[in-house]
Amino acid sequence: MSGLPTTVTRIRTPVALGAIALVFVLLALSGVAFGSTWIPLEQVLGVILGAGEKTQKLIVLQLRLPRVAIAILAGGGVAVAGFLLQKVTRNSLASPGVLGVIDGAALGVVIFLAALSNESNALVTSIAYQPVAAAAGALLAISLVFILSGRQASSAIRLLLFGIAVAAVAKALTVILMLIGPIYQTSQAARWIAGAVNEVNWGEIQITALAMLPIMVLVFILGRAMPPADLDEVSARGVGLNLPVFRILIFVLAATLTALSVAFVGGVGFIGLMAPHLARLLVGRNVFAGIVGSFLLGAVMLVGADLVVRVLFAPVEVPAGTVTAIIGAPYFLFLLMGKQRNDG
Amino acid sequence: MPLVYGGLVAVLCGALLASMTLGYRLYGVDQVWAALFAFDGSETAVVIANLRLPRAAIAPLVGAGLGISGVIVQTLSRNRIASPDTLGLNAGASLGVVLASFWLGVGSLTGLSLAAALGALGTSILVFAIASAAGGLSPIRIVLIGVTIAGLGHSLVEVVLTTNEAQLQQLLFWLSGAFVDRPMALAQTGAPIIAMGLVLALLLARPLDAMQADDTTATGLGVPLVLVRGMSFLAVALLTGAAVAMAGPVGFVGLVVPHAARWLVGLRHSRLIPTAALVGAIYATVADVVARFVIYPGEAPVGAITAVVGGVVLLVLLKRRAA
Repeated sequence: MSGLPTTVTRIRTPVALGAIALVFVLLALSGVAFGSTWIPLEQVLGVILGAGEKTQKLIVLQLRLPRVAIAILAGGGVAVAGFLLQKVTRNSLASPGVLGVIDGAALGVVIFLAALSNESNALVTSIAYQPVAAAAGALLAISLVFILSGRQASSAIRLLLFGIAVAAVAKALTVILMLIGPIYQTSQAARWIAGAVNEVNWGEIQITALAMLPIMVLVFILGRAMPPADLDEVSARGVGLNLPVFRILIFVLAATLTALSVAFVGGVGFIGLMAPHLARLLVGRNVFAGIVGSFLLGAVMLVGADLVVRVLFAPVEVPAGTVTAIIGAPYFLFLLMGKQRNDG
Repeated sequence: MPLVYGGLVAVLCGALLASMTLGYRLYGVDQVWAALFAFDGSETAVVIANLRLPRAAIAPLVGAGLGISGVIVQTLSRNRIASPDTLGLNAGASLGVVLASFWLGVGSLTGLSLAAALGALGTSILVFAIASAAGGLSPIRIVLIGVTIAGLGHSLVEVVLTTNEAQLQQLLFWLSGAFVDRPMALAQTGAPIIAMGLVLALLLARPLDAMQADDTTATGLGVPLVLVRGMSFLAVALLTGAAVAMAGPVGFVGLVVPHAARWLVGLRHSRLIPTAALVGAIYATVADVVARFVIYPGEAPVGAITAVVGGVVLLVLLKRRAA
C-alpha cells in the first residue's frame, strides 16, 4: 500500500520516468538505424528532420520508420490497457492477452476482412474501419469474460481461466476465418497468430495514431480520478467515484486501446502484463506516472522485440510477438508460482 | 453395458461411413465399396483410396489416443479440466516433432512419433515439476501453468517454422492440427503405438480407480504410487505423442471426451477407458467431417473446430465449478 508521497518517491518518479524516456528514444532510433544496411544515428536524425540522400530517405521513411512507429503505438497501447485492467480488476495477473481481449480484437478484424472483401480480395470499404471492427471484437470478448465469470470474477485465478477459454474460442474462429478471404493470400496471416510489425504502411499508422490520441486523453482524465491505491469499494467512495460506472468506462477504454493497438499488428502477447509491472517497480504507484511509464515501457518492449527478431533471424521475418511470448510466458509462470494469496 | 459399447461402435461406423462419402465431392456407398475392394484406377477410386481412406483411418486413432490420455491425465491430477491440451502436452509434442524434423533432420515416421512422445513426456514432467515446486497447487493454477507452457511451445514452434520459411498451411497444421493430406503410412505407424497405449491404460485401470481418492487412500489400497504414476505418464506420452505425430495438436479432444465417457459409463476405469477410446474416435471423425463443410468449398483445420467446442465446454465446466 502506498502511503503519502515521501520526498524519496517524489524525486524517484520523475528521475525514473526520465530514464525510461531516454531508453525509449535511444531504442527507437536504433530500431530505425539497424537493418540490412546500418545507418548511423546522426544520419537517421538528419533524414527524419528532412535531410539525407534519396535511398536513405526511402529506407528510413518507408521501410524502417513505419515499423518502429507502429511498434511504439501498439506496444504502448497494449501496455496502458494492461495497466488499466490490472488496476480495475485489482488483479496483478490480468492483461489484455489473458482476458481474451487481444484474440477478440483479432477475430473482429478477421471477420471484417473476410466479410467486406470482394472477389478480387480488395476491401469494399475503407481500411479505416478495421480498428472499429477490432474494437467491437475486443469489447465483445471482455464482456463475455465478465458476464460468464459472474461472481467468480473476484477470484484472480478463476477470472484468468475464463479469459483463456474465451480466447481459445476466438483464436480457433480466427484460424478458420483466416483461410477464407484476403488474409490468406496477402501472407499477412502470421500476424494474426503471433503479432508482427512489418508490412505496415503510413496510412495505417495515421489511423492508429489519430484514433489512439483521444482515447489516451480520456485515459489521463479518468486516471486523475483514480486513487493511487487499489480500486476497491471503500477507497473509491472515499474519492467520490461511482464505482460500477467508472469500472465499465475503464474496461471500455482498455478494450478500445487494445483493439487499436492490435488492429494492424496482431496479438503481441504478454506486453500488457509485463510493462505495467515494470512501470510500477520503477516509477512507483502514482497513476499519471504509471500510465506514461507503462506506455513507454510497452513501446520499448515491442520495438526491442522487433529489433531482436531482425538481428537474430534476418532476412526472414519472424513475428515480433513470438519474442514477447517467449520472454513473457516464463515471467507469467513465475508470478503463478509465487502468488499463493490468490485462491484457486 | 454391452448396449453402450454396441451403440458407440454403431455410431462410429456411421461416422466412418460419413467420413468416406461426404466432402467436397459426395460419393455413394457403392463407389466407396468399389474403390476399396475393386480398385479400378478411376479418378473417383483414387480420391477415395488416397485421400478419404487415410483420413478415416487417422481421425479415429487420434481421437481415441487423445480421449484415453485425457481420462488418465484427469484422474492423475484429480482435475476435471486437465487434458493433454490444457496441460501443454499437445504443444510439447508438436514442438518435439517440429524440432526433430527441422533441426535434426529426422524424416522417418517412427522417429517423428518418438520425438512427439518425448516432447509430451518432457512437458508433462515440466508441468508437474513446476506445480509441485510451488507446493500443492489448485487444479485451476496447474491448468494456468499448462496453458502458459502450451503458449510458449506454440511460440517456439512458430519461430522454428518461420525461420525455415514454412508455408502458412504447415504452420497452421503444427499449431492447430488437421487430418488432410496425411499419408496412410502414418496410420500404420500410429496404430500400434495407440494400441500399446490402450493396453497399458487398461492394465492401469484398477490402480487408477484407487488413485481417484487421495494418495493416502491409494497407498492404503496397496497401489504402488510411483510405479503407477510413471506408467501412466508413459501411456499418456505414447498416446498423445502418436496422436500429435499423426495429425498435429488437435485441440481439446482430451478435455471433452472424458466428460462424455464418464457421463455414459461412470467412474470405473475398466469401462471408462474403452468408452473414452470409442467416444474420442467418434468425436474426431465427426469433427473432421464438419471441418470439410464449415467454410465450404475451403476446408477448416479440424483442430480449430474441436477448439471451438472445447473452449465452450471449458467455459461450462468453469461456470459449474467443476474445478
